[in-house]
Amino acid sequence: MKQPYTPRPNSNRKFVGSYRPRIDAWEKARGKVEYVDDITLKSRFPGMLYAKVLRSPHAHARIKNIDVSKAEQLPGVVSVMTYKDPEFASMRLTNAGWTDGVDTVSFDRKMWSAFNDRRVLGDYACWVTDEVGAVVAAESEEIADEAIRLIDVQWEVLPFVLDPIEAMKPGAPLVHPEVTQNNVLPPEKLGGDDVFLNKGDVDADFANAEVVIDGTSIHHNATQASLDNWCCLVDWTDEKLILYSNSFEADQTRMHISEMLDLPMNKVNVISSYVGGQFGRGDTGEQPFFLFTAILSKKTGRPVKFKHTRRDSFHDSRQPAIYYGKVGAKKDGTITSLYFKSIGNTGAYADHSIFALKFAPLEISEVSFAHIPNVKLESYAVYTNKLPACMMRGVGNSQFNLIFGHVVDLLAEELDMDPIDLCIKNFGHEWGDFPDKSLMEVLRQGAEKIGWSEKRNKPGQGPIYGKTKKRGVGFSLHPAWHAEWQEVRRGRIPISITLNPDGTVILDAPTIETGTGSNTCNVLGCAESLSFLGVTPEKILWNHVVNTDTSLKDCVQTDSSVAYLQSEVIATVVEEIKQEIFERAEPVLKAKPEDMDIVDGRIFIRKNPDQSLTLKELFFQGDMMPIVVIKNKLANAEKTGVPYFANFAEVEVDTDTGKVDVLHLVVINDCGQVMFASGAEAQQVGGQVMGLGETLTEEIIYDEITGVPLNFNFIDYKIPTMADMPEIDPILLEIWKGAGEYGACGIGEGTLTCTPRAIMNAIYNAIGVRINDIPIKPEKVLRALGKV
Amino acid sequence: MPKPSKGTKKTVATPSSEIKIKINGCWHTFEPERDIEPTMTLSYLLREKLGYTGLKVSCDEGACGACTVIMDGKAILSCMMLAVEANGHEILTIEGLAKDDPIVEAFAQQCEPGYGTALQCGICTPGFVMSTKALLDENPVPTMTEIKEALSGHICRCGCYAGIAQAVTHASEKIGKKGGES
Repeated sequence: MKQPYTPRPNSNRKFVGSYRPRIDAWEKARGKVEYVDDITLKSRFPGMLYAKVLRSPHAHARIKNIDVSKAEQLPGVVSVMTYKDPEFASMRLTNAGWTDGVDTVSFDRKMWSAFNDRRVLGDYACWVTDEVGAVVAAESEEIADEAIRLIDVQWEVLPFVLDPIEAMKPGAPLVHPEVTQNNVLPPEKLGGDDVFLNKGDVDADFANAEVVIDGTSIHHNATQASLDNWCCLVDWTDEKLILYSNSFEADQTRMHISEMLDLPMNKVNVISSYVGGQFGRGDTGEQPFFLFTAILSKKTGRPVKFKHTRRDSFHDSRQPAIYYGKVGAKKDGTITSLYFKSIGNTGAYADHSIFALKFAPLEISEVSFAHIPNVKLESYAVYTNKLPACMMRGVGNSQFNLIFGHVVDLLAEELDMDPIDLCIKNFGHEWGDFPDKSLMEVLRQGAEKIGWSEKRNKPGQGPIYGKTKKRGVGFSLHPAWHAEWQEVRRGRIPISITLNPDGTVILDAPTIETGTGSNTCNVLGCAESLSFLGVTPEKILWNHVVNTDTSLKDCVQTDSSVAYLQSEVIATVVEEIKQEIFERAEPVLKAKPEDMDIVDGRIFIRKNPDQSLTLKELFFQGDMMPIVVIKNKLANAEKTGVPYFANFAEVEVDTDTGKVDVLHLVVINDCGQVMFASGAEAQQVGGQVMGLGETLTEEIIYDEITGVPLNFNFIDYKIPTMADMPEIDPILLEIWKGAGEYGACGIGEGTLTCTPRAIMNAIYNAIGVRINDIPIKPEKVLRALGKV
Repeated sequence: MPKPSKGTKKTVATPSSEIKIKINGCWHTFEPERDIEPTMTLSYLLREKLGYTGLKVSCDEGACGACTVIMDGKAILSCMMLAVEANGHEILTIEGLAKDDPIVEAFAQQCEPGYGTALQCGICTPGFVMSTKALLDENPVPTMTEIKEALSGHICRCGCYAGIAQAVTHASEKIGKKGGES
């Protein structure tokens, strides 16, 4: 039996922080939950057509000529449209980086307006499988597929480049010459210059420092791999455009369609229900297919469904990055200078590339390195003819952690110091006491659970198991980010609560449920706030459908923070509900609101508690009008710092075969406040599949000669299964506290940010040789050991 | 459209041109070409033609387990089987499980500290539930190794494997208790 987490002393929460099933567990376990592909079956949309898009067979090419006549003649084909049609030709250039989902923005305010590199349907393809040239609407998917094959395209095949270092060299093929003449995304106002932080003088400090170390690390193109492939249905057969999709943004999608198709917002209806996993996908280009599906619907006068195959859904990925890091320190372990330089493989479209490369290191510098006198950060985002890349359960933090955890381990070794002591000595945040309490407790608990002091050997010097196997332990840490003060950009967050006459509750806390469990967090938060009425989670209905016609603006599942953001607003809505109950009770109890109180659903006069009535009695003798309160609130901007998280790993490496087995993972997250313990632990345990996968087995492999990706499928893109996963211990802490009622922070992304580096440091501890590019497959281990 | 017919007809492949499949206890009769084309997969028939949307099609090539249903007591990947191959056989989809099925219950209820829940986004869950049913029908008290072996053909990208393994163990206990009572 594993132990439950220990809540902060005297917190006395009734529901928040509890271990319990998710509110949607029954429906999900019975297969009753409907995802977009289920909702848009043909039986529900008679007359529906299926859309397919032409995909580039070349890594880099332009359409010289296109002939769709054979496709048009195929029976069952209703419409074939090309980039030459005025609907597409007149559409303005755009990009997929309007927003990271945190806020809703218009075309003019989109984040990366310097990089308008996408056409909704154009004649130019810059990676193999790029959606380009023509779209088809047909009576069945098979007919649509066949029609695509019948399109005769004359391609002007262009030279291509896959590697960012090659792409930066003079004379390299240019991926988007209209944006950049050297494939490097030019500096712009949001991300700043190539050197985007330069505090003190790192070069001078490196020259004088007692100890200087440096190293590199390379992260790759892992993919989100949500099982729920991209899918949408557009019904634009009348004046109004209705979109069903599995995007994680409803309000922003409505804005996007409204702006791109010049439709008033009340004529665009975006509907989303449950989504089968998101993990950051959707920041690299889902919008073009909403738009061409819409145009096909308008053209044909019929609802049109567009669905990716599994292969097509290899559409987004984590941005690969090559990092160089250098650290200067005193002999006592005090770090005096830090320098990090990165080269990111942006892939075919810019999207949020700059976000990943520049914001993540800037964030950690602001909190963890605030007191280090010399810090320099430098980044280059480079276009290549590969899969576009950006967000994946985090934006750049996994990539940055790979180098950060590396230089920490290198420096500790150079100083002959325990890296845990080195971290506690050096990292904290500018608002907190030093040493940082959250950091210390996170590392202490992780070390204890993994058996740090017993199991840690001199690198490669430990005992040998079964003749050829060696074991080691490692860890990595990161600041959590995603505290409430960091979510102000989100703008006002709306909540509506309806209190029914019988004391049941309808909670409108709109967000597209992608599996994160924020729905359960909010129901628990709502029950907690309404516990004076005797409300329990079972009495609360949470609406799972977000419909822009009827729902409030949705709070997008990004930054892992919806779990507490909406609950903070719920707490203020409930204050108003309480006041309205008193006002309604005033003529009945003949007392002033300020003289009343409510406990367990009974409203009474404080001085004379016998004079009372229940909520139900109050409603049932009145007009039965439910109490409805809608409020919105900005996140609390009070700077409260951030907590820490860390991962510890124990590995066993077979020095004969090169195989790495992870034996044990410990995942420690300081949450501030645990909102829903079972959900939080599910995130901690669950995140390791992605973290371990991208460290050891997952990798997109390209044919370097043609640029063709070779393994866009779940057979060759190896996601760990139940048999591959080690023992995992999740540890939830409540050490740090943010502002507001709960003072929580997001943890979902932070469960796996440190997994790769923790495993890599453990491998070094086991075999005494460093491997710094993931995934670490057996051949890399053998090569590192000098065996091949 | 095919019409379901109640009855307890034996599992015999008829030489006639009709295709008969027993789905969740009811025989359905289909006319080849009109209802079932030769290339149609069982998953397509079940989802698109008959509306059994509990099973999901994600990879459509036998690599993820989301489309798992039970045929004649064995867990099968319905995306890897042609609909015509199910002629004369008995299919059980998640819709055919009882409301209080102990496996469904165990998956829904898992919240034991230290393992997380048995599901998050839920899209892979029906597949896991059906494979668990096939496993426990054959082996009511599996070891952890046997559980991992039986369920390692499924992908859960949310990563709830530890919670799922707990749910399978709890389901096994629930079934054992039920069996002991009756």
